[in-house]
Amino acid sequence: MNDLKLPAIDYAALAPMLILFGVACLGVLVEAAVPRARRGLVQVPLGLLGLVAALVFVIAEAGTRKRTAGEAIAIDGPALFLQGAIIVLGVVALLLIAERSLEPGGPFVAQPARPVGSEADRSQAAGEGGATEAYPLVMFALAGMLLFVAANDLLTMFVALEVFSLPLYLLCALARRRRLLSQEAALKYFLLGAYASAFFLFGIALIYGYAGAITFSRIHQAVTAGTGSGVLLFAGLALLAIGLLFKAAAAPFHVWTPDVYQGAPTPITSLMAACTKTAAFGALLRVLYVGFPGATWDFRPIIGVIAILTMLVGAVLAVTQTDMKRLLAYSSIANAGYLLVGVLAMTPEGVSSTLFYLVAYGFTVIAAFAVVTLVRDADGEATHLSRWAGLGRRSPLFAGVFTFLLLAFAGIPLTSGFTSKFAVFGAAFGGGQVWLVVAGVVTSMLLAFPYLRVVVMMWLSEPGESTPSVSVPGAFTSAALVIGVLVTLLLGVLPGPLLDLTTRAGDFVR
Amino acid sequence: MEHTVQFAPATGLLSGMWLLVALPAVSAAVLLLLGRRADRWGHWLGCLSVGAAFVLGLLSFFALRGQENRAVQLNLWEFISAGSFRVDFGLLFDPLSAVFVLLITGVGFLIHVYAVGYMEHDEGRRRFFGYFNLFVAAMLVLVLGNNYVMTFLGWEGVGLASYLLISFWYVRPSAATAGKKAFLMNRVGDAAFVIAIFLLFAQLGTVNFDGVANQVHTLSSGVTLMLGLLLLLGATGKSGQFPLTAWLPDAMEGPTPVSALIHAATMVTGGVYLIARSNFIFTANSTLQLVVVSVGALTLLIGAIIGCAKDDIKRVLAWSTVSQIGYMFLGVGLGGAAYALAIVHLLAHGFFKAGLFLGAGSVMHGMRDQVDIRRFGGLWKYMKITWVTFGLAWLAIIGLPPLSGFFSKEPIIVAAFERKDWTAWLFGIAALLGAGLTAFYMTRLFMLTFHGPKRWTDDIEHPHESPPIMTIPLVLLAVGSVAAGGLMVGPVPKWLTPVLGHEVRGEAVLAHSAITILAIAVTLIGAGLAYLLFRDGTATAPQPAGALVTAARKNLYIDAFNEAVFEKPGIFLTRALVFLDGKGIDGAVNGIAASVGGGSGRLRRLQTGFVRSYAMSMLTGALLVVAAFLAVQYGWFA
Amino acid sequence: MTPAAVLAATPMSTGEMWVFIPLGILALVGALGMVAARNAVHSALFLVLTMLCLGVFYIVQSGPFLGVAQIIVYTGAIMMLFLFVLMLVGRDASDSLIETLRGQRVAAILLGVGFAGLVCVGLGRALAGTTAKGLAEANSAHGGNVQGLASLLFTRYVFAFEVTSALLITAAVGAMLLAHIERRKGERPTQPEQMRARFAPGNYPAPKAGPGVYATSDSVATAGLLPDGTLAARSIPEILPPRELTSSETAPKGTDR
Repeated sequence: MNDLKLPAIDYAALAPMLILFGVACLGVLVEAAVPRARRGLVQVPLGLLGLVAALVFVIAEAGTRKRTAGEAIAIDGPALFLQGAIIVLGVVALLLIAERSLEPGGPFVAQPARPVGSEADRSQAAGEGGATEAYPLVMFALAGMLLFVAANDLLTMFVALEVFSLPLYLLCALARRRRLLSQEAALKYFLLGAYASAFFLFGIALIYGYAGAITFSRIHQAVTAGTGSGVLLFAGLALLAIGLLFKAAAAPFHVWTPDVYQGAPTPITSLMAACTKTAAFGALLRVLYVGFPGATWDFRPIIGVIAILTMLVGAVLAVTQTDMKRLLAYSSIANAGYLLVGVLAMTPEGVSSTLFYLVAYGFTVIAAFAVVTLVRDADGEATHLSRWAGLGRRSPLFAGVFTFLLLAFAGIPLTSGFTSKFAVFGAAFGGGQVWLVVAGVVTSMLLAFPYLRVVVMMWLSEPGESTPSVSVPGAFTSAALVIGVLVTLLLGVLPGPLLDLTTRAGDFVR
Repeated sequence: MEHTVQFAPATGLLSGMWLLVALPAVSAAVLLLLGRRADRWGHWLGCLSVGAAFVLGLLSFFALRGQENRAVQLNLWEFISAGSFRVDFGLLFDPLSAVFVLLITGVGFLIHVYAVGYMEHDEGRRRFFGYFNLFVAAMLVLVLGNNYVMTFLGWEGVGLASYLLISFWYVRPSAATAGKKAFLMNRVGDAAFVIAIFLLFAQLGTVNFDGVANQVHTLSSGVTLMLGLLLLLGATGKSGQFPLTAWLPDAMEGPTPVSALIHAATMVTGGVYLIARSNFIFTANSTLQLVVVSVGALTLLIGAIIGCAKDDIKRVLAWSTVSQIGYMFLGVGLGGAAYALAIVHLLAHGFFKAGLFLGAGSVMHGMRDQVDIRRFGGLWKYMKITWVTFGLAWLAIIGLPPLSGFFSKEPIIVAAFERKDWTAWLFGIAALLGAGLTAFYMTRLFMLTFHGPKRWTDDIEHPHESPPIMTIPLVLLAVGSVAAGGLMVGPVPKWLTPVLGHEVRGEAVLAHSAITILAIAVTLIGAGLAYLLFRDGTATAPQPAGALVTAARKNLYIDAFNEAVFEKPGIFLTRALVFLDGKGIDGAVNGIAASVGGGSGRLRRLQTGFVRSYAMSMLTGALLVVAAFLAVQYGWFA
Repeated sequence: MTPAAVLAATPMSTGEMWVFIPLGILALVGALGMVAARNAVHSALFLVLTMLCLGVFYIVQSGPFLGVAQIIVYTGAIMMLFLFVLMLVGRDASDSLIETLRGQRVAAILLGVGFAGLVCVGLGRALAGTTAKGLAEANSAHGGNVQGLASLLFTRYVFAFEVTSALLITAAVGAMLLAHIERRKGERPTQPEQMRARFAPGNYPAPKAGPGVYATSDSVATAGLLPDGTLAARSIPEILPPRELTSSETAPKGTDR
């Protein structure tokens, strides 16, 4: 028997992930060791410190382009950029998660195991401190996402997918208010997520059958050499794509999105909308650009049709929504379509514009959900659209901020929504995908309608008796809101530096 | 293009041209963000900022006259840069932008002042001025941008402000519907504009006006045609031209100053600006010019015919706007010298149409917001100033010499007769016919409103003249209506030469003097006919009418056309997607115009999503995706 | 890989064929039975059947480690645990198995068959000409099947392997979070309180009576009789309907003679 040699592992390059996993484990220990009342005080700084430390390592590694840990992990431009983006967006989302002044006890239920509607449940709704287990779960999820965008083979990618999905399923079930809705959302997310994972695994098996390997470089070799059966390749690629498009919320694999976005605690929804989307598209970029660029001509028309369908579904169904969180969910679906347009450019500009879009959208969507957490009445958040009527009279500042964010979603110039859409459409046009651009432009014009309808409703209608008040945000939510709005404005007015950064970060290692 | 277009960097006073945009923008921000604290003085700030912008525009104008290269640009910062592609946040002050700046800020200032009086009793006056200033800022960006992306930026901004202002009286359902309609039809045009920008970017690698102007000759004629058609579609959307006409008359639901400023004087002329600014593209392809001319001629007739059949004072004026902008499109489509003529007509139209709308607003102000001209009559005795100013604007628009409409419209008719082939007759006669129809419907409007027997509703006893703050702008605009045309028809084309090219006149198929006489004769016939028919008033209820009048009352079935072509498929698509989504959203889904609000019934149904039906739709998707990939593999699509 | 594809693709030894065909049929029966069974315990047992067959397949295809792991870990440990939990919790009689969505079942069956058909036909055509490499080469490279797996796990996939621990921690935290109710000092009833509650009016302090044991029936579903001859509802599990003995059952059977 020959000796096993551990592969060389570049611990500095893996440090961001290791730190977050470590922080998550520490967080679990904190749950066990620290008295309940003080857990939040320990968990929040611990999480923030961990994220900052991870970010420091990401920045320190900025120039690294290598594969490590036995080729299982690729630390390259997109991986580092996406890791940085996930960490920064995670910090902002964590601020929302940590907010306790809006609702006594925070956004999470104290004891999720208590039956809904029982006496104990009613008493815990009124201010018992929320479950602090959420923090280590968030850390696990973020660590999994960091690994997901850096995974260089399909097995590692699958493990990362599960590592970041499982905590999210759990987090969805923790809402303090409307717990049945929240638990239903979690169960749906879990079942459908497992279903999508099965497709992904089946795809891995077929790709292994085709290429004899699951490392992207070997797959690429096999695809360019053209040996092996095309059926294995394309059936495998189709099934892989289904698994990834599920996480990215592309039609027709988007069905879970509105229910889950609506049911999950709003800070978790913002985490999913910003970070999960970033991770999913990061992985999709890597699979398509590193593993399968040789099959571009075959998959582009099919995924292009999916992109168009996604944009259409998101844009049209957003019009019919009556709940703010569902509306934002459909908007997130439509944005997945625009991101796909950028991905399908299959050019370096396609990569950089998609990276730019992810960051721009992430900040805007977190800020939008931050506003959603503020509009509340005695029963918690008031998310029904009719309740938002006349909000501009009640609270011009927050209605103004939300208007700005909606305009950004609608892609009105001078917001990041315009520059990012411009970038992805420009990249796709440059990549010769005129049909996608035309569909994208038309649906984005359509999509502006539901947003502006909300704007008009907030400003031009009279506040009714049921119009809720806007809570004064605590320090954490204010910080998240200010960061989100400033970035949205800055990327709309001065997108140059970030565009440069994404251009420089656009090179994959194979 | 033979000569190279080059913009000089801004120096001196002109380097402060960003203030033109910043003044109203800052004022809008202050008004909208300060909230009720600004209620007492907000409207004066709104006026002041636009007035200051006008003074600055005037100073800049004179500064530009002293320049050798009369095209000065100011690059504020790099807006978007991706690889070789670069868009600056840059402003361009050249003769064309200069005249637009003066029109927007000048007429805009007068309308702002008027609105102080008009909106006095509306509690939303401060917000109204906020949106109004926002509009002015966006419109200035539109005409000052030095590249297509900047123009688009302003384009979106004015669309947004216009949407907000149309929906200003949100409680009225018709206002909300009108806002939606305006929004959607504009979006069709906007989409075309964006795609044109991407096309430019893909073909030329630049979207700057100078870059495009210098390289446009390298494009194949097919690409130029495509580009021009896309830009034209964008322009028709913003300017309410065929086929995207229907939103403009509906937009009259907004407050009257809005109709005057946005839907008569400035925003709706954005399409004309776009084509004039892109003259290098349109001149490069004669097919393109023919299309523009056809759109213009068709729209000017449609607008005039429908204008004859309407009874709502603002809608008549709105269809008249559609028709007059048709003249402008005709002008820019004819190319050569007619570009400048179109701009002259645009400026003159800005004065008299703003005057007409403000006059209409003054009438409505005195008549308890009545808009039906069959319910007016004999008002000249009660509103002397409005009567005189409205009358002057009326004479101006029908083109009676020596008022401004004559000097601006008649040359366009002449230019139409100067086309090189048989189309000269076609377009020339259309333009002449339009002039006659204009005279008819405007005279009808004037006679029914101010003369003839009183046909007021019972609740009106003593109509009153509007306060001075409203009449003074009326007087100033009337002076403009009288004088502007004659004063501008000489110098403005000369001033615009650096942008629009040198004057090349063709040979008209008829003698110039003959056309002039014909135009005046047609006008007099139209006006005389209307006078004879309507000097004794009219019935206050709709009368049975022939096919043409019925068609005209129904907007020549344009709405029905839109419904069949755009709305029905939209509703169908929505229904289909809702069905596919497996969601039991109830029958309240009215296509794109789904109503807001909703009862408990809908809330209950929100959670009918069963996880097994979700899984099934995913399986369907998976089946299709795998099948599609395998089909590609076996070449089933090839 | 689907059985059809394997059948179509590779020449098999006779022994393998004779193992595969009956076990393949059994595996399919198990899988269908798991979906179709109305009783959760039956479903679990059908799943056990399928898993056992799969374990045998792995072993036959020279993957002994995976085969044994499948049988010991999945079938032996996980499924048995699953069964215990099912039996402890008990199947709630209120679970409805009636499909309320119109056409759902038909559509699901059609789609499932369609998907399986698509993949089988595609793979069958793709693999028609290929010969299976088998694991012999890979197994010998590191001196055996287990060693080969270990070397992969601890070299190329070491990071993924370690990261799965995060999955386990998450699962443990999640189970605690969703299933465990933490009772604090004030919430947990003390022994005196429990005693008082037990003898409080309205509560039945003694152990519940067992089900009836009769000469004719000793089913748990047969209620015991109270002294007055009525059925004691408390003597049978709540989810079972109390069963009244029929007159023929209570009639003398002739054994008293």
